[in-house]
Amino acid sequence: MRWSVYAVAILIAASLDASVGSLFAVGELRGQFLPAVVVFALLAAPRKLGVRIAMLGGLVADLLSPVVLPTQEVLIVPGPRALGFALGALAVIQLRSLLYRQNPLAGSAATFVFSLLAAVAFVFIFSIRSLVLDGGAPWWPGSGAGEVWRRFLGAIGDGILALPTLWLLGKTRSIWAFTTATRVSPGLARQSG
Amino acid sequence: MQLPRFIRTLTGRRLDWTLAAIAFVVALLPVYALMPWTNDLSRLLSVPLAPVTHLGMFVRDQIRPPQPRFDPQAPETLALEREVAQYRMLYEQSRLEVERLERSLASLRAVSARVDSPDSRLIEASVIAGDPSRRNGVFTLNAGDRHGVRAGAAALVDGDVFVGVIAPEVGNFQSVLIPANKLPSIGSRLFPPEGSDPRAPASSYPGAVLKPTGRGTWTAEVATSMALAPGMIARLADDRFGRAALGSRIGVVVAVEPVEQAPLARRVEIRPILDLDGLSSVILAVPAEVPR
Repeated sequence: MRWSVYAVAILIAASLDASVGSLFAVGELRGQFLPAVVVFALLAAPRKLGVRIAMLGGLVADLLSPVVLPTQEVLIVPGPRALGFALGALAVIQLRSLLYRQNPLAGSAATFVFSLLAAVAFVFIFSIRSLVLDGGAPWWPGSGAGEVWRRFLGAIGDGILALPTLWLLGKTRSIWAFTTATRVSPGLARQSG
Repeated sequence: MQLPRFIRTLTGRRLDWTLAAIAFVVALLPVYALMPWTNDLSRLLSVPLAPVTHLGMFVRDQIRPPQPRFDPQAPETLALEREVAQYRMLYEQSRLEVERLERSLASLRAVSARVDSPDSRLIEASVIAGDPSRRNGVFTLNAGDRHGVRAGAAALVDGDVFVGVIAPEVGNFQSVLIPANKLPSIGSRLFPPEGSDPRAPASSYPGAVLKPTGRGTWTAEVATSMALAPGMIARLADDRFGRAALGSRIGVVVAVEPVEQAPLARRVEIRPILDLDGLSSVILAVPAEVPR
């Protein structure tokens, strides 16, 4: 996999989320492009790179998501989404062999699972942070439970938005230079051919 | 250069766990440890994203305009335009009013310099109507009895130009100004245009009772041995019009001619200093105490 292509893709996805993201929101149900791009890479890239791929995407998301502190200052906290994406990546990598990748709904479902697990880790990290460090949580003045529900709806939105996004990314598969290793076992058909 | 051994061993799953551990630690760092560098990092990252973000914002605004499109014919737009026009008019009006007040203040100062009496004060009255049937006819002023205006009060313009007196019938809130050239007679003295000689008594300057000619000028027969010449200034010297108006300018001598029946006298013709056509306001001396 070409890391440069992936880097450009997640930057573009993050930019689109920051600009046109509001167009894809219906109430709290809001889809994002970035999870779909990460899942697209996870589904095609070598397994050993999966966590790193996801963490890079999460880091970009972290760096573009400031948290407002109780002191009315703005803080960037790198890590919560990176860890969340890593957790999501572990799940998607495990699911990869079970998914029929030609089915567009498979990618969408993988994105939903990815976003859901990423949200769990995100809420967990920030809960610890707000408890231990008495720092600001992104969901303030809402509650953590409300954030979980919001993130669940967000995961549904990510899954829906992943349908067209993964289809479009599939058209660019050649420039990503994914290496596919197909295991071929000797058999009758092969020997006759 | 060879990398340290612990870095060389960071591959595969070990690298993943190391990165996750770093991310976990960083995520739990206190604010003072993150603030100095993470915000800058975020700003750096946002630089390459700016073109795409701007493009996205443009697309978003096209798809979902942030505000309704401007409709110049919408009722609220027309109402706003009317309001803007109205407030612009009020603004210009206030500026003109300030200019008028400054003029008025200058006139009041000029007259008050001469009126040094605690019993009287000066007010400004605006001309609210003129005589439509004739030029230099009577004027209606917006000051009356409630403002302290009294019949016979002298009206001055530009500080020292006598323009008329208040008619006997004074209303509560308005009065009528009789122009000076409608008065049957005005006592005056003629002074040289450059001013009088302070060493010479005022009585040494010729007195003249001005009579209106009907052409907008006055005429008077002056019996004096003093040389009379065009350009001399006729100043009010008539006690009927109060102290404030004494010495104010009435007109300029425009012609001097001999009088056949009286060899020692000469007839002078005096033109008013001001044409009252453009009169907009006058200064009146009124009693200090205004009746309520």
